[in-house]
Amino acid sequence: MEAGVDLVAMTHIAKRFEALTAIHDASLTIRPGEIHALVGENGAGKTTLMNILYGLLPRDGGEIVLRGAAANFSSPAEAIAAGIGMVHQHFKLAPSFTVTENIILGAEPLRGFNRINRSDAERQTAELGARFGLDLDPRAVVGSLPVGLRQRVEILKALYRDAEILILDEPTAVLTPQETRELFATMRRLAESGRAIIFITHKLREVLAVSDRVSVMRLGRIISTEPNKNLTAERLASLMVGRSVLLRVSKAKAHPSEEKLLQVEGLTAIGDRGETAVDNLSIAVRAGEIVGLAGVQGNGQDELVQCIAGLRRPLSGAVAICGRAAARWEPADSRDAGLAYIPADRGRVGLSLASEVWENLSLGHLRSFSRGPILLTEKARRQASALIRKFDVRGAGEATLAKSLSGGNQQKVQLARELTRGARLVVAEQPSQGVDIGAIEAIHRILVDMRDQGRAVFVISADIDEIFSLSDRILVIYRGRIVADLAAGEADAETIGRFMGGLHDRPDSEAPEHGRTYVQ
Amino acid sequence: MDELMSSEAAPLRRSAISLRGVVRPLAGPAVAVLIAIVVGALLLAAVGQNPLDVYVTLIKGGLVGWPNLSVALQLTTPLIFTGLAVAMSFRAGLWNIGAEGQMLMGALAAGIVGYAVSLPFYLHIPLCVIAAFLGGAAWAGIPALLRVYLGVNELVVCLMMNPIALLLTGYVSARALKAPGPTNKLPDILETAILPNFSLFSQLNAGIFIALACCVLVAFVNSATLRGFEWKMIGLNPRFAYYGGIDVRKSALTIFLLSGGIAGLAGAEQVLGVYKAYYDNFSPGYGFDGIAVAMLAKNSPIGVILAAFLFGALNGGSAVLQMMTGVSKYLVQVLQFIIVLVLAAQFSFRWRVARPWFTRRAQRRERGTRQPPLSESE
Repeated sequence: MEAGVDLVAMTHIAKRFEALTAIHDASLTIRPGEIHALVGENGAGKTTLMNILYGLLPRDGGEIVLRGAAANFSSPAEAIAAGIGMVHQHFKLAPSFTVTENIILGAEPLRGFNRINRSDAERQTAELGARFGLDLDPRAVVGSLPVGLRQRVEILKALYRDAEILILDEPTAVLTPQETRELFATMRRLAESGRAIIFITHKLREVLAVSDRVSVMRLGRIISTEPNKNLTAERLASLMVGRSVLLRVSKAKAHPSEEKLLQVEGLTAIGDRGETAVDNLSIAVRAGEIVGLAGVQGNGQDELVQCIAGLRRPLSGAVAICGRAAARWEPADSRDAGLAYIPADRGRVGLSLASEVWENLSLGHLRSFSRGPILLTEKARRQASALIRKFDVRGAGEATLAKSLSGGNQQKVQLARELTRGARLVVAEQPSQGVDIGAIEAIHRILVDMRDQGRAVFVISADIDEIFSLSDRILVIYRGRIVADLAAGEADAETIGRFMGGLHDRPDSEAPEHGRTYVQ
Repeated sequence: MDELMSSEAAPLRRSAISLRGVVRPLAGPAVAVLIAIVVGALLLAAVGQNPLDVYVTLIKGGLVGWPNLSVALQLTTPLIFTGLAVAMSFRAGLWNIGAEGQMLMGALAAGIVGYAVSLPFYLHIPLCVIAAFLGGAAWAGIPALLRVYLGVNELVVCLMMNPIALLLTGYVSARALKAPGPTNKLPDILETAILPNFSLFSQLNAGIFIALACCVLVAFVNSATLRGFEWKMIGLNPRFAYYGGIDVRKSALTIFLLSGGIAGLAGAEQVLGVYKAYYDNFSPGYGFDGIAVAMLAKNSPIGVILAAFLFGALNGGSAVLQMMTGVSKYLVQVLQFIIVLVLAAQFSFRWRVARPWFTRRAQRRERGTRQPPLSESE
């Protein structure tokens, strides 16, 4: 893979969005047959750079040379014709079409009178899948496939168009550990067939596991490109953020008291599709401990948290918050009882993106910003600027619109609002989702401080690293039930991963992820 | 306008920001009006009229001289009420487009209390006004309850409630309680229920002060009270509002009832101040025009006053225009429709006015990608 001339050379690429310079000066070379990881924090410009290569965005400076010739794509169609394929983080598939129909869409094989040659298309799809070990039923309807298989459809779509360079934008974000391994095997096979893979991610372990070369992006610049063998996770992390960070937050041993601040008893809840999402589940979180709930998304953790926060009506069972028990909670009541809830869905639940930061920081505390029916705007704004400083929300004044903040800073706004009310129970859902490493560290620090102040912290995360980094006790949820309850010290990632994949109750050889239903 | 008010109350903000806070919200409506004027001019030129002459006549006819101005203000008054009613619900994300029906029901209630009850004027007028408010609120209550408790789309229900109100008020005024004589109307209201008129040239009456007071009151509630804050949050993100502990159902009911009540007040003004009796089918569509007013005002109560006056003056001027130049008064309706059309387009496309042409071209190319700048995850 060292041999040969560069397939793609991007030199001194620049890109501006109005006042904001997204990419200052990025140079990147891609060789045939390599898996090239492009890593960096959120907002570093990885996706923007790839969108430029893929013809989605015009560049403001620099050159792209493809197989020795200058390339100026003004649309993805031109890039595809030149052999570049991209699998976006959010799949661009038609869910009601079959696998074959999705793959041939826009490049249909035809027979007489402009009719689509279906049998030919299905045969080609099956052949293509077999060639790269991407097993798929060509007639399966895409909407009924689990996420991992939909991703295969996307990859096949690019291969069907003879992509020689395949860009994968955070492909593992939605996958189980098992599916991730399969994806890596596929990437390896594709690279061996001479294709180049550009793999965008911010998960360091994956980078080291699969890539040949690694380019690190920071603040719109490619700051290093090195062979994988020269790198360690710590070095990569410090390259990404520009300083050494602790990948694991340092914390003292937990001293939980006997007081149970969260108690869920025999809870059963129905999900949006009418399935039993939470199945007679019981958990308890004590004051002074962090309990992590691990699980692949869609195994009932959303519904469980919604029942605790009062956003969903359980079918049966009860939830007790700080000693107050009720079968049905309203959000206002659970807040009063002492719940601080940091939702995963910042944009739709946890924040009003079209509102100013001070407004986002005030909701839920309105009582302290009012005299009778009058809202004390001035006081709320002053409080907001104090919180912005205290939680180090960057790029924000109290009058900034929430949507103009980066993911990490939006998360800090949520934390600032929820964790400054003296609530004794903290429920944090995917607290570092879409947040860069620097901010993850700060967020984890805050949660550990909460624990040390004697509060109960319940963390729900799909990211095993995060669960390990934070938890004193780890629970694993699978199909709406708790299938493991382990002290942090006695669990390792493989064990937790097996529980997450539901392997504990299936000793036979059946591959679990094909039979399971997923919720995206 | 909202922004203007809140920025005045906030010395924390720099003056440059508050200037933008004033210019920004006005830019969209200004563009809409400008485009309407330009398109109208093209239409006029196409039929062989001199656009400049026509517009000058229109403006003179709408604004110049107390006779013209008082007509414009009379036509403005009901639009303030209905515009405010619609704006209030739109701001909270509730689509009350039933102001027409709510106004009719309010008018009917005021018309009945106005002739059937005998009281001194200082009690009679308030009683009629309250009856109109309750009439409008009751009519709004039907879509509100269906929406809040059964999740029925309020847009559709409101739309259907309008003709029902028209037919119901028609039945009452042409059959059940019809006054003797050839006209389909209720008996004239008593002297004690009449809102004082203060123009010889039009039916401009004290109702306009009630309208202005309502706007000021709603502006205050919106910008300075807890309720106003909560309603805004519900409008911007109801799930966030609910998560934050706001009783979204109760608030939605309250807003809908208040909105309907304010629309009902338009009916009171028409009956007590303009017609002095409930006449069947009296409204030329003030309730529907209220939607346009609210859109032009961007749901700001103070903006409603300005937008209603613009429409009132245009309508007042159109009559003069038709007399003086023979240009059909429907020209004004065309202008109004264009304004609404452009505003609706802005609603979905987020107009960017303040941007110079050369960057806008690049922008357009990028917009096709639907990739927000720098969004890497989520």
